[in-house]
Amino acid sequence: MLNLFTRPFRQNAPVLPGLGADSIALPLEKGCTVPAGCFAVLANRDGHTRRLSEGARVAILEGERAWCVHPGPYGCELTPFAAAPEIGLRVAFAIDAPDPREAQQRFDLYLASEGAEQVALDAFVDALQAALQRELAQGNLELPPCTSFEEWNQFRSGFNQLLYTRFGVMVDDCVPVDLGAGRDLAALLAARLAAAPLPQAAPQAMQEAFDAPLEDARALRRLFLELPGILCGLRLNLAPADCAGFRRHQDLLRRLDLVSLSAGTMPALDLAAPNQPLAASEQLRRARHSRRAAAALDEAWALLARMQPGDAARQAILLDEADRIVANLECDCAARRAVTAEAP
Amino acid sequence: MSEVVVRSIAADGSLLGVTATVRPRDGRAEVKCSVPDAPLLAQRMQEVVRLARHTEARFDSREQVVLSLDRAPGAGSRDWELACVLADRLVRGVWQSQRPVVANGWSDAWHLGRIDGHSLGVVPNGVLAGGADGLPHLGALSGHPDPAAGVSTARAWFPLVSGGAGDSLCWVEVSVRPAPHAGDEEASIAAPGADAALQARVRAVLLGARHFDGRGLGQWRTTVRFAETRFQGGSFELALVMADRMARGREFLARGRVLASGQSASWHAGRVETVEGIEPKCALLGREAGPGDRILLPRAWEGRLPAGWREEIKARGASLACVDRIGII
Repeated sequence: MLNLFTRPFRQNAPVLPGLGADSIALPLEKGCTVPAGCFAVLANRDGHTRRLSEGARVAILEGERAWCVHPGPYGCELTPFAAAPEIGLRVAFAIDAPDPREAQQRFDLYLASEGAEQVALDAFVDALQAALQRELAQGNLELPPCTSFEEWNQFRSGFNQLLYTRFGVMVDDCVPVDLGAGRDLAALLAARLAAAPLPQAAPQAMQEAFDAPLEDARALRRLFLELPGILCGLRLNLAPADCAGFRRHQDLLRRLDLVSLSAGTMPALDLAAPNQPLAASEQLRRARHSRRAAAALDEAWALLARMQPGDAARQAILLDEADRIVANLECDCAARRAVTAEAP
Repeated sequence: MSEVVVRSIAADGSLLGVTATVRPRDGRAEVKCSVPDAPLLAQRMQEVVRLARHTEARFDSREQVVLSLDRAPGAGSRDWELACVLADRLVRGVWQSQRPVVANGWSDAWHLGRIDGHSLGVVPNGVLAGGADGLPHLGALSGHPDPAAGVSTARAWFPLVSGGAGDSLCWVEVSVRPAPHAGDEEASIAAPGADAALQARVRAVLLGARHFDGRGLGQWRTTVRFAETRFQGGSFELALVMADRMARGREFLARGRVLASGQSASWHAGRVETVEGIEPKCALLGREAGPGDRILLPRAWEGRLPAGWREEIKARGASLACVDRIGII
């Protein structure tokens, strides 16, 4: 026979160990095929994303990154209160098929703006837990002692919406569980009491761990890619009833637009002026402000999760909350631009 | 609230006042502090307040809090720090207090919410004093356990009625320290200051509730303290059980305090039974409940609550549950 077909037309599916078990997304090579049961997400530098279904050949364009995503389901245990480690929620979540009504799937945006080379399940679950704990601490979700059925159902719908709006994952199942066997508070406290003689060591070590350029770059990328999404959500989900509300809404959108512009044109972290280096302490201050701006961004997604179109009763509260978040974003973006700390 | 005054006891025994107001920020610093004749102290004050804000979940950059001490405290005195932190919280509505606040305390770790101590010789009644014997960290204002401490302490409140003017909320505090033991569980529970009958009742209640819980037997050394031990009846039992569960990290936490009234003859089955005094207790709870507080009452009260009381509680930001058993749902 002529040795014409020694190379197969289609490359074999790549070997991706741990996908679907301890990692959610793994990087894909150029030219390989998307494995069965998975899909691929490709994102370019500007945050444009596209999906490829299973069996498709991955043709990566210039400047694109590609992930292979396993839709799940994944199981995890979340601790809603840091001070109560023995009671938690057992959550099963999955990454759903694309919603045709959305221009860009939220999970794809998550990958484009926050996704590292690979998305490990542990880190993702930590992010879910942080989002849940913040909403509970702010009182936007309620999970009080002796939760009644109505309160639990209300919590569930808020929680589902939060995870869908913030991370683009669907919650399949969520039940309260006793985590006492795995996370024993008595053992935790005993370890803490044993470690008590050196109380100063921990906070200083934490401070060293803050990598200013990395944190700053990550936060700015999030701001650059996600602010348009926030803007779009605020425009769609909030329909003011009266003229004054309309004016406030317009003003809010205009200010958010300016924040978005400011984030897109942010000066480099290490330059005070062209070719003028900035002191390290000021760089640290700038990075802290960009991280706080990213935290405000998280709050904005949580706010979008609470907004239902046509919910007129809570509109004033939601507008006020949006005003607060936009003010925080403005404040932190301005401080990130500034060369020196503000005068007291 | 437009203006808040929190007081602190100075070294010479006189009262030092911290006045706090809120105004729109307009591009200024988020906290402005002033102390007559002591600009360095004002800087420290601003630092303290900013650090203490790290323990809050919500940040609002739209307002500026202006804090001022009415005179310079004595050299080296740091007992005014807690008063400043509390004034900053009161004026923004983060924390609410029904009565005027007098507070003394200092800390080296405000960013963790920890309060290290106070320098009062004798703490007068009603004064919030920082430190291990009083207010060990800022979350303890709403009874939460300190997530960084080696001994877990939680508080719950129960209504004490005495026929009118003396009605008040009384707290019960449970602290647990890990100490595995195989012996008598009752001997590991102490209630200093309580008489023998109350002590026996506390031990029986905790034993039953931990038996229902399935965990917690033979693990802890427990100390139970009451704000006031001269009372009759068993309506403190639900509050005691909730405080114990919160201290052992086995209960969801309310954003504010847990206010509970209820007793049981069968804590080993987790049941909550009715108590007396529905009218005065509801009136008291309606007066005292604040934003984020959780009110737990016996299920038998559900149909007998005063008209409009539920709505009143909800309008104050508190939530209510009538329960017939403890635990999840």
